[in-house]
Amino acid sequence: MGEYLLEVQDLKTYFTVKAGKVRAVDGVSFAIKPGEKLGVVGESGCGKSVTALSIMRLLPQPPGEIAGGSVLFEEQDLVDLPESAMRKIRGGKIGMIFQDPMTCLNPTMTVGKQIAEALRIHLKLSKDEAQKRAISLLDQVGIPAAAERINSYPHQFSGGMRQRVMIAIALACNPKLLIADEPTTALDVTVQAQILELINGVCSEFGTAVIIITHDLGVVAGMTDRVVVMYAGKVVEMAPTNELFANPRHPYTLGLLDSVPRLDEQRHSELRTIEGAPPDLLKPPPGCPFMPRCTFARSICRTMPPLDSLVGNAAHRKACWVDVTDPQEQAYAEKRRQNRIEKVFARMNAQSGSTQSALEEK
Amino acid sequence: MDIPGQLNVTTSEEEVEPILELTPELVQKRRSQARIIFDRFIRNRAALLGAAFLILMFLFCFLGPTVSGHIQPDVIHPADASQAPSLKYPFGTDYIGRDQFARAMAGGQVSLLVGLSSMLMAIVFGIGIGSMAGYFGGLADNILMRLTDVVLAVPLYLLLFVLSASYSDGSVTSVVFLIAIFGWTYTARLVRGEFLALKEREYVLAARTIGAGHFRIMFRHVLPNAAGPIIVSATLLVGANIILESVLSYFGFGLHPPSSSWGNMISDGQPLFDVSPWLVFAPGMLIFSTVLSFNLVGDGLRDALDPYMTER
Amino acid sequence: MGRYIIRRSLQAIPLLLLLSVFMFLLIHALPGGPEQVIFNPHLDPVGRANLRARFGLDQPLPIQYLKWLGNCLIGNFGFSFATNQAVSTVIAQRFPATLQLFSLSLLLALILAIFLGVISAVRQNSPLDYTLTTLSYFGLAMPAFLLGLFLQDIFSVQLHWLPDSGTTTLGYTFDPFNAFIDHLTHLILPVTALSVLFVAGWSRYMRSSMIETTKQDYMRTARAKGVSPASRLVRHALRNAVIPLITVVAIDFGSIAGGATITETIFAWPGMGSLFFDSLQSRDFPVLLAILILSGFFVVLFNLIADVLYGVMDPRIRYS
Repeated sequence: MGEYLLEVQDLKTYFTVKAGKVRAVDGVSFAIKPGEKLGVVGESGCGKSVTALSIMRLLPQPPGEIAGGSVLFEEQDLVDLPESAMRKIRGGKIGMIFQDPMTCLNPTMTVGKQIAEALRIHLKLSKDEAQKRAISLLDQVGIPAAAERINSYPHQFSGGMRQRVMIAIALACNPKLLIADEPTTALDVTVQAQILELINGVCSEFGTAVIIITHDLGVVAGMTDRVVVMYAGKVVEMAPTNELFANPRHPYTLGLLDSVPRLDEQRHSELRTIEGAPPDLLKPPPGCPFMPRCTFARSICRTMPPLDSLVGNAAHRKACWVDVTDPQEQAYAEKRRQNRIEKVFARMNAQSGSTQSALEEK
Repeated sequence: MDIPGQLNVTTSEEEVEPILELTPELVQKRRSQARIIFDRFIRNRAALLGAAFLILMFLFCFLGPTVSGHIQPDVIHPADASQAPSLKYPFGTDYIGRDQFARAMAGGQVSLLVGLSSMLMAIVFGIGIGSMAGYFGGLADNILMRLTDVVLAVPLYLLLFVLSASYSDGSVTSVVFLIAIFGWTYTARLVRGEFLALKEREYVLAARTIGAGHFRIMFRHVLPNAAGPIIVSATLLVGANIILESVLSYFGFGLHPPSSSWGNMISDGQPLFDVSPWLVFAPGMLIFSTVLSFNLVGDGLRDALDPYMTER
Repeated sequence: MGRYIIRRSLQAIPLLLLLSVFMFLLIHALPGGPEQVIFNPHLDPVGRANLRARFGLDQPLPIQYLKWLGNCLIGNFGFSFATNQAVSTVIAQRFPATLQLFSLSLLLALILAIFLGVISAVRQNSPLDYTLTTLSYFGLAMPAFLLGLFLQDIFSVQLHWLPDSGTTTLGYTFDPFNAFIDHLTHLILPVTALSVLFVAGWSRYMRSSMIETTKQDYMRTARAKGVSPASRLVRHALRNAVIPLITVVAIDFGSIAGGATITETIFAWPGMGSLFFDSLQSRDFPVLLAILILSGFFVVLFNLIADVLYGVMDPRIRYS
């Protein structure tokens, strides 16, 4: 047994569309130890969910396809595992929770049956045993009167309750790893914390490793040991959670942190955003994918930087040529930022000017 | 520090990396809505084939007689009775020697006209009643829905046969009325559904806030936005009506001589099916392929008008 | 569930009443309605009045309607103008044949439509899918009577494989088993002609419903649980995909009944369809009215069954 439960190495997942290949995941590597809690962060479309679906081999095929790399789970490569063997892993060894609990449960099956199904497939339990186990699972995920609710249908549950049911399904067979893909995004804010607490608590209890995928930095701050930051299908930074928040080293991570409004900040202080949009993954830029939006960008950024460890801190890795802590670089970036803002204003003025004159002509 | 040495550079103005345009060409070549729909329709080969066939069919029925010289559908050629298809009579002749080719073209005119005009009538009724029911709700809606329930509960053919036997004089007008009299129910339900959904939209509210009247809101603001499904159902309705007409005529409840349609031709030829199969096959195939084409075009329009179909 | 069925049944009653009013008025408002038909123009006024009284035609229309409705409810549909038999007797003779044709065709059409629709969806965009799609387009463009005529010509007139009309081969006496087989062979063509028309539309619907279902998030959940493809199809997809089909089939019940009338005529099937045409020709209004009412009643009944089935299949309906 190696050190890691799951090792993703240079994973590449492409989607074939009419116009070409969309490189949704382009050379992603990370690993997770048994019992560890890993956060994967990035804005929508950066390839986090596709990474999760690739690990589970749940990509819609076609158009999705794993084009390269490996996913070692307990030293077995899932990428070229036959489908029948993969089925034993799904739900048995790796459980998964999805974003929208309103649509993820079968509307015509009782929740009890949906939980019991996994138990019957993987643990070969009898109908009665599965039923009993399903009741205790529902109880564990905090659904009151579990013995009665077991015969309810999903539409009789609220969103938060359904997500609890999803968690019960995912954890039914006591998997080694739980992948939670944006588990709280579709829920009310008040319910979000409860669900995260539940995932955290139940997984700690069972010793289940967790990969939690989210665009919400608050989620990873609260419950993960380590964070992977993804951008445009690539890992740009990776560090223990506390280290990442205290000492972000990639301009993109900096931007993400800056764009979160903070209560302890001075009033009326400027909220910095990341200008622009992620690149078109049909034709990604040759170098660093963040370069077009990056205020630190240099000519060298036209070649992709490697994901290197920081000097003296092997656990913290970043893929950037620039040292963002260097005051000189910061001054350069600030200048570029101002420059960019001026340009935007200039263009806006020019546009409104031309409308103005057009109106006056009339 | 972990940055490579060569990057510790001065930040003189010349070396500043140029700022890339953040929003590259948002303004692409713009096509009009109609153009997009047209392009999508053109790409659907089956629908295009259907459309081409329909054009040919119209030309065949309305220009065919003069071009081919088969202009006498009712003239009897006793010497040429019951002839199989040949160069002189492409669709053969019947037992009294009528030119089936000429009859097919003349009958086609009637079939197409009946199909189109009964569709128009049904659509106009349907839009009128459906929009009232959907927009105002309440009593109008209730009456419409109960009426639709009743019409759906009775086999349409039986109802039409009874009505035809009592009211119809076998003229084209009466058959058109007969077909349209219940044909509107489907359109009405469709329009009602669209109106129910669309009347809650913000732009309708906006129109109301500036004081637009009910009539104006219904027909200027809501109806154009429901046009897609209506056009599609109208196209499919033509095919359905042509079939309906042929069924009525086949059982003797449709057009009476001297008007004749494809349905009448089948009805006339059916007793002689064993000996002169062409009498049934020719009009049968014409009905079949025309209806097929209307259905293909209708489905093609449905796909082309689907706002959820995105392009890459 | 019980309450759901009761609620649905109660909702059907006003519809049936409305239907009966509609039919009654339709028949009585017809030019050449009952009066003209039964009254011999040579009849003297006294005889005429007697006849009017006998058929209840001297009373106001609402009274006539209520009387007729009351009689209908106890199964008395009056007497045939043409044969003077009780209408219920005439219909009882013909009804079984129609019910047989209707339900067998419905069953066959449903099985075929679901089966072909699922195959098409599972093998989406395969040559098989394209073939089935093309065939269904052909089926949708084919008038009912034309298909009947063609089938009759090919399989009985040309190939002599199957009998062309009727319910039994005349002039032979069979033992019960062979009689049953003989009857079945007579059923094949009409049942095929009637069901093919509906298979075409329904299988298209089933295909798109199935494709829509397999795209749902809960199908991905099932995969993530490690459910096998066969089990995903049967336990998870099929049930959810069939639910919308039920509504479409229910809407088509009236058309099936209409189609059955046409098919019966073409294949000389001695059911209500041919009775309908005979009665229409002879202006036998009591029989016509009874046929219209009964067909409406059965369409509503089948709709009720479909509704209940809908509730059984979809818990969201049942519990709301």
